[in-house]
Amino acid sequence: MTLRVFDPTNETKMAGIEPAVRPFSLQGKTVGFISNGKEGTTGYFTQLDRMLRQDLGVADVVWRTKSNYSAPADPHIIDDVRNWHAVVTGVGD
Amino acid sequence: MQTNKVGLTSKTYDVDDFAAAQEFYHSNGWTDGLPVVPPTEAAVEACLEWGLMRPDQLIGIEPVRAQPITAEKLAINAVMAGCLPMHFPVVATAWQAMMKEEFLLHGVTSSTGGCAILVIINGPIRREIGAVSTFNALANSDRATAVIGRALRLALINLLDVRGGGIDRTTLGHPGKFSYCLAEDEEDTVWQPLSLVRGIPEGLSAVTVMAALAPRQIMNEWTTEPKEILETFAAEMRANQRHYSIYGGNYAIVIPKQLREHIQAAGWTKRDIAEFIYERARIRRGEWADVGKAAIVRDRAEKIHTALESPDHLLVVAAGGPAGGFGAVIPPWMGSKTKAVTAAIGACVDCEPPKG
Repeated sequence: MTLRVFDPTNETKMAGIEPAVRPFSLQGKTVGFISNGKEGTTGYFTQLDRMLRQDLGVADVVWRTKSNYSAPADPHIIDDVRNWHAVVTGVGD
Repeated sequence: MQTNKVGLTSKTYDVDDFAAAQEFYHSNGWTDGLPVVPPTEAAVEACLEWGLMRPDQLIGIEPVRAQPITAEKLAINAVMAGCLPMHFPVVATAWQAMMKEEFLLHGVTSSTGGCAILVIINGPIRREIGAVSTFNALANSDRATAVIGRALRLALINLLDVRGGGIDRTTLGHPGKFSYCLAEDEEDTVWQPLSLVRGIPEGLSAVTVMAALAPRQIMNEWTTEPKEILETFAAEMRANQRHYSIYGGNYAIVIPKQLREHIQAAGWTKRDIAEFIYERARIRRGEWADVGKAAIVRDRAEKIHTALESPDHLLVVAAGGPAGGFGAVIPPWMGSKTKAVTAAIGACVDCEPPKG
């Protein structure tokens, strides 16, 4: 017997959220790091900072650290993002 | 794909039979790996009718990603988990509690720490739905708690994409991520129900949600002294501070009948228990050096870390089978970053009364 069943996923799309325009090059740009503050992020971001400046010509790298590694970035960090051309963030332990 | 014409607006799919439904849901990544009950129109509408909810009723909005959770979508997942209509109000209220900002749902469900969401049911609804608070209380004790706990997880998977490797970055996890729900044994204790301790008026049904690690079982059959019994619980909490996280947060302790009766006979209340545990469950930071974590002791070896920020942060639950000097400590996911939340089922206890 045929069953008609429902989609269990959230079909509602978040309103008003558009990804930022992707830069074609990082030459001369400002890149921000948002660290979750865990131990392992320091070495990773230090290396990435060097690569961005030396290999890709990034003009400035700005480091910020969240006050709670499990929560969204603090409002003052979100405000800072407006001044950057790209942001690097993610899981780090 | 078609649009349902009778109030439910979710996409529908036609599948040949029950077995085909299983393969369809599994292949789309819409299950927890176990078989699901096909969510048909009749089953979903029955849940909504029991809960007196419209399909588009907003259960809440996930605070970080601004994802709305509607009654219809939650009911679909509840049916898939095996819920009967009478279970749905518990599922909906638990989800409302989970979306309170202090619960930090995004962190709880995405962390490498791998906690599950523990649900504790209080009040008359326990008996109405057939929840069992005695034998096997923390496991597959009964249908109601099994499917309610599972419904929360399925809805996380499907409504917030909490899948391993996706939003869920858990390193290990634990079996409570299939289902983690128990009901307090209010009939066989003189203690106040957890919900009343946490501010819900007497007589109301309620759920408490807590971001929780797996239960750590203790045993002490060799004393009737409350302090000695509770010292074993406190020692397990200290062990968790040493081996997992030193930071204070909500802990739950489950005290079955055999140990509970000794503590009750001595006149101890849940408050007395919480105050004793608060004093005893604490370690020096320097103890981390004993378990291989000397690198993070730094210059703070004498700093004292309490497992609870205050006695109020201990959730004392009466549950478990009648025999056996066992108990369980359920640690928090990660200190106080998340707070346990208790909410009344079918009642608003902090709403403003209508004006005029």
